[in-house]
Amino acid sequence: MAIGVKVMKRPEKDVSYLRATLKGMALTFSHLFRPKVTMQYPEEKSSKDWTLSSRWRGTHRMLTDEQGRAKCVACGLCPQICPANCIKLVPGEDEDGHRYPLIYEIDEFRCVFCGYCQEVCPEEAIHVGVHYENSEYSRDRFVYDLERLCAQTHPVSTLWDPSDPRGE
Amino acid sequence: MAEGVITLTIDGVPVSVPPGTLVIEAAKQAGVLVPHYCYHPGLEVAGVCRMCLVEIEKAPKLQIACATTVTEGMVVKTQTVQAKDARQGVLEFLLINHPLDCPICDQAGECELQDFVFQEGRAATRYGEFAKRFNPVEDFGPDILYVPNRCILCTRCVRFMEDLAREPVLNVSERGDRAFVGIHPDARLDHPWAGNVVDLCPVGSLLSKDFLHKARAWELDKTPSICTGCSQGCNISLDTREEVVVRVRPRSNLEVNQYFICDHGRMHYPWMNRGDRIEAPLVKHNGELRATDWEEAFDRVVTILRGAAGGGKAVAIVSPGASSEALALVKRLLSGFDWKGAFQVVMGDEAPLPGVPNLALRAERVPNAKGAERLGYTRDYAAALAAAATASVVFVLDDPDCGVQTAGALIYAGTVLPAESTCRNADVVLPIANVAEEEGTFVNRDGREQRYFPAKPAPGMAQPAAWVFGELVAAMGLAEAQR
Repeated sequence: MAIGVKVMKRPEKDVSYLRATLKGMALTFSHLFRPKVTMQYPEEKSSKDWTLSSRWRGTHRMLTDEQGRAKCVACGLCPQICPANCIKLVPGEDEDGHRYPLIYEIDEFRCVFCGYCQEVCPEEAIHVGVHYENSEYSRDRFVYDLERLCAQTHPVSTLWDPSDPRGE
Repeated sequence: MAEGVITLTIDGVPVSVPPGTLVIEAAKQAGVLVPHYCYHPGLEVAGVCRMCLVEIEKAPKLQIACATTVTEGMVVKTQTVQAKDARQGVLEFLLINHPLDCPICDQAGECELQDFVFQEGRAATRYGEFAKRFNPVEDFGPDILYVPNRCILCTRCVRFMEDLAREPVLNVSERGDRAFVGIHPDARLDHPWAGNVVDLCPVGSLLSKDFLHKARAWELDKTPSICTGCSQGCNISLDTREEVVVRVRPRSNLEVNQYFICDHGRMHYPWMNRGDRIEAPLVKHNGELRATDWEEAFDRVVTILRGAAGGGKAVAIVSPGASSEALALVKRLLSGFDWKGAFQVVMGDEAPLPGVPNLALRAERVPNAKGAERLGYTRDYAAALAAAATASVVFVLDDPDCGVQTAGALIYAGTVLPAESTCRNADVVLPIANVAEEEGTFVNRDGREQRYFPAKPAPGMAQPAAWVFGELVAAMGLAEAQR
């Protein structure tokens, strides 16, 4: 016994795909004439409409003094404040009797880029950087030692607005 | 009102103290810490820092809590606007010339100036435009540096050297804002107890060269322990950083060492961090010591003891630095034998701290000689070594340099096994923990039993001596419950 199937009769203009296709094409082609929002990364890294925020917190940089030595005095506040426990610091004394870091290493894999190390540093030595291109060929290259941290050249993060330090 | 008790109120808290108590001490009982620098309970009252200013009802002006004795019904207020203002003023004066080099100062984290300025000091300086006074760092003694810039002239160090060490080599030189702590031009701060000035200093002005730049105060774990430097039994705190003992500090015990330890005890810690430790039990196979597990080592010891039992002679050469528990268990282990136990006492010069009764670096440079004697060990070291030659079992407990020679079985339990030690001939070598790695008790020269606690883990398979001998006693069926 055959089952009776009811075939709906709809108006021609509702079942034709031609109309929908043309509508979609019209939208697509209309974008050709709109302002461009894509950037040709990596040739272009910023445009007038978009730049990395000056408060971006990326991989670290250690600032140096006039003699090129790290400003760090190995006070031990950054390993203490670090919530990810990614900073290794061993203090020592140089030939002039100044305290300085014998070992200063940051494991960028462990780092959560909270910026507390920069915020807590009394010597304005360690900073998080406005930088995001960190690829390497091996994992161990992600433990940045003191020499590498000092050699970074990217700009450092501004954690707060200097004209409004309390955020008021 | 009870006889000989004075009741007063401090910040609304009533306290009862004996007459003659200072307000600052009574405040401690009320749970109020009055900020202070020159006052130290172990030193004479000087009243020079003016930091402990408090308001006392009916007194015409603010009083210093460290030099005011309590009276009946006294009402002390430490947190009034007037008192806080005065203390803030004192702190402001102290900071005029203080370099604020906390990031490189060893005292940071345990600095009273830091604490009290944070608590009630001004948020910002009013003297920013003026240059600070500068004096170079001075070398005061074998282990002491003086940083005059950080000094707040509380004179604790001066008073310690004068009243307690009775070697008045320090004074306050110059005056006004040029004042600093000076040392006699021909003298060094090398009194055997001089290291205490570093602990007494409330700021980072007097520094230990040994501890300089080693660790930050907040990285240290503090473990209550007993000094092993001599038979005085001073209470100490072992400060460890990443499981390495980096410093020894006194722990106050008014009946033993008050607030002080001698420099010998202070420097008597690097051996606790030795790296050349025995890390696994060793058992002799074909004339050669081989690493094994605890089970086999215990089996071998039990075999030796069972084989030699029954009227055999046994000798125990023990270290008087071993805990009373370990010594007692060695004794019980040998209870079936005709046994003899002895220890050797290293002697040195006695160095008293004259200002404190019954406190000295004792000539006997071992911590538990009294405890060993109480358990029946003797000082007849030479006789024990001679007897060891013919004994059937010889136990050596952490005395690798004893030079023992024996025809019988030799069992050595120790922390290290030097290349030239005759204990290398042992049948069994049991690795044990040192004093910083185990819990135990020492009996000091006055018969006071004092407990110490583990500050770091023992290396490898090493275990506390009391555990090792406890297991052996149990294996031999000599435990209390089994008898």
